[in-house]
Amino acid sequence: MSDAVQEPAQAVKQSRARLLLVEIRRFVLIFLAASFFLFLALESMPEDPVSLRVKNPDPERIAEIRDSLGLNDPWLTRYVRGVGDFLTLDWGESLISGRPVAGEVARYLPATLELAVLGILFGVSFGLALVLSAHATGWTWLLQPVRGMGALGLTVPIFWIGILFVLVFSVQLGWLPVGGRFDFAYEAPRITGFLLLDSLLVWDLHAFWIACRHLVLPVLTLGLYPAAVVAGTLEARLGESFLERLVTALKSRGFSPARVWGRHVLRLVSGPVVTVIGTQAGALLGGAVLTETVYSWPGMGRFLVDGVLNRDLFVIQHGLLLVVVLALCIVTVSDLIATRLDHQLQNREDS
Amino acid sequence: MRFLSFFGLFFTGALLLSTGCSRQTDTTTSEGPATFIFARGADAQKLDPADVDDGESVNTMAQIFEGLIGFKPGSLEVEPRLAKSYVISDDGLSYTFVLREGVRFHDGTPLTAESARFSFDRQMDPDHPAHFPGASFQYWQNLYSDIERLESVDEMTLRFHLSRPNAGLLTAFASFPAWLVSPGGFEEYGDQMVFHPVGTGPYRFVSWRPNEAIIFEANPDYWREPAAGFDRMVMRSIPLNSSRLSELLAGNIHGLDGIQPSELADLESDTRFQILHAPGMNVGYLAFSELSDRVKDPDLRRAIAMAIDRANIVRLALDNFGSVAAYPAPASFLGIPDDDGPINHDPSAAKALVEAHPEWTESPLTLATFGQPRMYFPDPQRIASLIRNDLEKAGFKVEIINREFKSHLHTTRKGDFEMALLGWIADTPDPDNFLSTFFHSRAAVPGSATNISFYRNPEMDQLLDAALAVSNRAEREALYARVLELWARDLPLVPLVQGDQITVLDRNIGGYALSPTGNHFFGPVYWNSGDMPANAQ
Repeated sequence: MSDAVQEPAQAVKQSRARLLLVEIRRFVLIFLAASFFLFLALESMPEDPVSLRVKNPDPERIAEIRDSLGLNDPWLTRYVRGVGDFLTLDWGESLISGRPVAGEVARYLPATLELAVLGILFGVSFGLALVLSAHATGWTWLLQPVRGMGALGLTVPIFWIGILFVLVFSVQLGWLPVGGRFDFAYEAPRITGFLLLDSLLVWDLHAFWIACRHLVLPVLTLGLYPAAVVAGTLEARLGESFLERLVTALKSRGFSPARVWGRHVLRLVSGPVVTVIGTQAGALLGGAVLTETVYSWPGMGRFLVDGVLNRDLFVIQHGLLLVVVLALCIVTVSDLIATRLDHQLQNREDS
Repeated sequence: MRFLSFFGLFFTGALLLSTGCSRQTDTTTSEGPATFIFARGADAQKLDPADVDDGESVNTMAQIFEGLIGFKPGSLEVEPRLAKSYVISDDGLSYTFVLREGVRFHDGTPLTAESARFSFDRQMDPDHPAHFPGASFQYWQNLYSDIERLESVDEMTLRFHLSRPNAGLLTAFASFPAWLVSPGGFEEYGDQMVFHPVGTGPYRFVSWRPNEAIIFEANPDYWREPAAGFDRMVMRSIPLNSSRLSELLAGNIHGLDGIQPSELADLESDTRFQILHAPGMNVGYLAFSELSDRVKDPDLRRAIAMAIDRANIVRLALDNFGSVAAYPAPASFLGIPDDDGPINHDPSAAKALVEAHPEWTESPLTLATFGQPRMYFPDPQRIASLIRNDLEKAGFKVEIINREFKSHLHTTRKGDFEMALLGWIADTPDPDNFLSTFFHSRAAVPGSATNISFYRNPEMDQLLDAALAVSNRAEREALYARVLELWARDLPLVPLVQGDQITVLDRNIGGYALSPTGNHFFGPVYWNSGDMPANAQ
């Protein structure tokens, strides 16, 4: 292999490493800023969470508890310790229930992740399928719902759509469960906390089926907005003239619609779609809170909302920061993937 | 049109999806379902009878734990439970309980004087290993503080020695903080026993999925008939009222509580359900803070009391699921007359008083209220607006300050307000539980006050203490009559309403009785397959 061939490969590797470094630096900076703002927000809470919690709030007892929790230390010490505790998973105990916060999060997070991942998967595949099939088949009426969904997603609250689904599919038609993650007449398998996975691990197909039925409406509700956004982005991208020229060229070479749209076009547009998913991460987590409320889904959303309403200090501090970190992870990973896809695209377009 | 076709397609897809999976996960047998599912708005916090004050925890524990004595289902009459008999000494200074033989806790620990003592010793003795540092054991200080020591007379006899007579103690023994927990539970779980309750009740604790459900199974060794009516019981937490209702309408749950009276309209005509409602042991009131100079004047308070149309509040804010509170304790309580009370709605007299005191209306009075519904105030903000309306008609200016409930509680406990809306749900069916709570200067400690008016009157304190030490019923009644006179003269608070407790059940559920304490007890509840008429009250 000659040096002439190695050099561009080296350059690509270097640029990837540089990109990774930039992303990591951005991740750390945003994490520090977010944790600091969260700390400030907790500091400015109008009431002392400890005195709200203690039933007989005599000042000595409150001071004692505050001391034991280290709440009387200087603010910088508390902030640094808070970040340190977060990173070492030493999340303390809920002021309300007395349960360890890390344990609680471990219990609620799988429920939220299961819902969010399936919601995104459904949303993205539904959005893609709708737009691509509309273009591939020429059934332009299929594009109407894309615009409809966009309007729906922006104007009708997820909350309301969820309640509508429940009224139609559960109360009126009785097809699907109203809420919850599982049928309470049965014991759900518990290994990882991901019910679909757990029921497959113990090979309990009945449990798997129950879990699936409970997921249908929340996933539909949660997936509608990403579906609308993905479809909208894709539709805009497909309107670009170079893609139109490419499609005409590929068609004229006699490629089948499935090959033209499913392989070539999809690859070209996947970068922006991945970026959209990433930027939607925050909105999606917000949507998950509402969806969880409508469907009595025992996930992070309800846990955090209860934590905030109850001024449950460590739940807010660590639980919310975890959500921020999760959203950041999704954004970073999607950025990396999108850049990679764009690079490939760039290379292909250059060649 | 195209839009519609999309929805057609979408819904058809969902139809196919669901018909493909139409196998019902139904455990219904010819005799009915094996699992009873009840939904409420919030989860329990801890399952330690000695260290909770929230209704959801108490309602959960009611299925698992029992006390030496208890209230007969549906009434406030005390009956023996884990004690087969009890004797109160003539001087009122000792209570002796003879325990029932052959009773075992769910973990197999036999019920004896020693195992029963554990539940009281741990609350009384700060050095007891089960006196958890994170727990407040506040009820011990409030209800049982006159207990000086316990004595195991023999294997099955337990005696409580008091430092002074306490006429409210018997009903306190029937209340939840005196429910017996298994010492074996503490040995096995340590301070985590608050999440693994072990009692003697008709249902045994199985598992707790926080914010989701608490699951029980029937206790096959329950000592009492009828035993648990279902093999399995689930108490779900569904915070959203509309979701709870949808679950009921879809037939997924057999009962619910915590519903707004205004949401009952549709259910009332639905024959699938029975709506049970009865007066709750609560009073929603308007308090005046003695710490605020402006509302110290008793004439001003009287004018306000006369201006408020309490019947209108019951009609518009409680949808008639409640009644006007004539006194600061419910009429069913000892010494509380069953009449209309001394406060009459008289808007013209109120207006005349206000006109005679122009200084009252120089600047607006502030009325503090809160957001979350409570049993006594299903819609506190609406009640605040109705009161403002009435007061403005009388010539006052009123400004409403709205806070989140915990924050409101924090403010009122410091007396930091002029007028505030709040209420009290009784812990025991003894008048002292309302009257000392509201009027005793002992309860007027800034930060933890339940006497949020900070009303301090030595004569009142004396009367309340005397009434608690006297066990003769007529004497107590006379003392409480004097207490009510003082209240009506000084008006530190205006009782407004008594909210109903409301429970909705599937019409096939039998054996349930609403308890005046507001606690749910599902032990004797069973599935009634016969076409019985709904036993709505």
